Amino acid sequence: MGEFVSFIGDNLTTFWQYTGFANAAFGNFVMILVGICFIYLAIAKEFEPMLLIPIGFGMLVGNIPFNLEAGLKVGIYEEGSVLNILYQGVTSGWYPPLIFLGIGAMTDFSALISNPKLMLIGAAAQFGIFGAYTIALWMGFDPSQAGAIGIIGGADGPTAIFLSSKLAPNLMGAIAVSAYSYMALVPVIQPPIMRWLTGKKERLIRMKPPRAVSHTEKVIFPVIGLLLTGFLVPSGLPLLGMLFFGNLLKESGVTRRLANTAANPLIDVITMLLGLTVGASTQASQFLTWNSVRIFALGAFSFVIATTAGVLFVKFFNLFLKQGNKINPLIGNAGVSAVPDSARISQVVGLEYDSTNYLLMHAMGPNVAGVIGSAVAAGILLGFLG
Amino acid sequence: MNIKRIGIFVAILLSAGAFVQAQQASSLRINEIMVVNETNFQDDYGMHNAWVELFNTSYGTVNVAGCFLTDDRNNPKKYSIPKGDILTQIKPRQHLLFWADNQPWRGTFHLSFTLDPNKENYIALYNTDGTTLIDEVTIPAGMLPDHSWARTFDGKDGWEMRGTTVSSNEYWYVTPSTNNITLDTNEKIEKFERHDSVGIGMTVTAMGVVFTALILLYLFFRVIGVISVKMSARNAMKAHGITDMEEAKEKGFGSRSGEEFAAIAMAMHEMQEDVHDIEDMVLTINKVKRTYSPWSSKIYTLTELPRK
Repeated sequence: MGEFVSFIGDNLTTFWQYTGFANAAFGNFVMILVGICFIYLAIAKEFEPMLLIPIGFGMLVGNIPFNLEAGLKVGIYEEGSVLNILYQGVTSGWYPPLIFLGIGAMTDFSALISNPKLMLIGAAAQFGIFGAYTIALWMGFDPSQAGAIGIIGGADGPTAIFLSSKLAPNLMGAIAVSAYSYMALVPVIQPPIMRWLTGKKERLIRMKPPRAVSHTEKVIFPVIGLLLTGFLVPSGLPLLGMLFFGNLLKESGVTRRLANTAANPLIDVITMLLGLTVGASTQASQFLTWNSVRIFALGAFSFVIATTAGVLFVKFFNLFLKQGNKINPLIGNAGVSAVPDSARISQVVGLEYDSTNYLLMHAMGPNVAGVIGSAVAAGILLGFLG
Repeated sequence: MNIKRIGIFVAILLSAGAFVQAQQASSLRINEIMVVNETNFQDDYGMHNAWVELFNTSYGTVNVAGCFLTDDRNNPKKYSIPKGDILTQIKPRQHLLFWADNQPWRGTFHLSFTLDPNKENYIALYNTDGTTLIDEVTIPAGMLPDHSWARTFDGKDGWEMRGTTVSSNEYWYVTPSTNNITLDTNEKIEKFERHDSVGIGMTVTAMGVVFTALILLYLFFRVIGVISVKMSARNAMKAHGITDMEEAKEKGFGSRSGEEFAAIAMAMHEMQEDVHDIEDMVLTINKVKRTYSPWSSKIYTLTELPRK
């Protein structure tokens, strides 16, 4: 009997050693709190719920402690575990191009095609990437790490994950979480900068309504877009190729089923897997480091520079445009590729000053140009530093 | 008509396939050759024979099976690399060694010729068709024992003789089945660290490229836009029977905003779908019995997602 009791006792002791309570570290609880905070922001404040719920829940999954020496194959960093297999889409960089396929199939480039000069705003906003790159170098990161951190300023989660998985895999968790967090915080970061940099008269500029774009133009756009950008920056091909491919599926009009799949079920599945695994990759032991704090600071800084560059560029551009063709600088912020949030902010801030001035369609131009711009910038960084 | 279409499609597919095949094999290079092997690398029979090293310059696996190696300019098909051996696959940026011992019966990697140190040796690699030259090299006569004729950098132009003793050149060693140069640093990164520690160079270059890409797109679509406006103006003029360009311009043909079309489309939709002069519902004061209750209705049970 005594032997049996001791056997049960041993079993319970062994079981205790396997539990999360026995293996917990302070950092795990911190990350679990951050995860809960993300979930709260997503549900209560509706900050990017599609991203923050999977990431927040992933943080809970990734920070439940377990006995690392038991060989349970449950952790995201343990080869062969289910989470590890799902995480390969992030580490090998094939989730982001699939997300881009869906984005392409959802995006209407009409606003850009009808007023192509708006593309230049999308280019100007990429200064955020290189501003952050410069500061990251100054802070002591090496050039490839600085490139991976700088891409946060492109305000494009998939691009940030794609580039960091190639240039600085060890910083990918912090970079991805930082990029998505600041994308969710775009409504908080951008409006004060927009108000501060623009005058009352400028905010009231009314832009010409965009002309109707023909089907032929819409079909030509992805083909020429791919050829021009692809030949110039082949290293951005995985992102640009999929973006324009998705758009051709949409605009061709003969592949509706494929376009619907790319724009709905496919992108939804990949978003869930991407968000969950990126969240789970933030295991406290890997994530709670001084570098992560610095990356978060640089991320905020890059968003500020990107917004500032976009707005200032429009003001500068207006110097060369005739009266009647001028651009409202409140759409300058939309050059960062947080689609469609930053365009929505242009609309909201614009309506504050003139309740009949609808800027949304105009802002969608630089917004989608920003997606192309940040993918091109990622390709350049990969080409130089990869 | 259908047969013609299928024929064109198949022809395009076949030519694309042929191109892919050619492209794969074309990334192979003859990388290093040892003519006199006295004490150097041994083959799988424990013999010291001359060897020829191939290098896959690409980042994809290339199967060298079916290609030809030769030492005779007039006979490109002298040694056909056997098919059916999985070891003929060369992984990305990896090497494969062939023994020039004139004993092909010893296996896939034993060539049907030898190399002669007293004269120039010509080695060529031909594609599977036996006519497309992939790479060739002429090794100078008088190669010393255990010295190799190697590319300075793997797969790149520029050859040199290598030996086994230390010289002024630190990369002077014979390197069978491995990189001719082992790089322990990332040259690109070092260059940036050395010349662009602040990041200005990167910013200027990269922003230049981003602007160039989007300016090219802008210019292209500006031209396309002008053409498109002209074409739709011409179509509208035809539809309205107008021939005077000025009149068409006044009426705004071709440059109508999308908002106008959206408003017209919405009005037509409202007219056709939503607006009814006669409704098909019946008003009554009688109690209408429903055959379901909230307990049996799927609307009220699990299929409904919670809403805020």
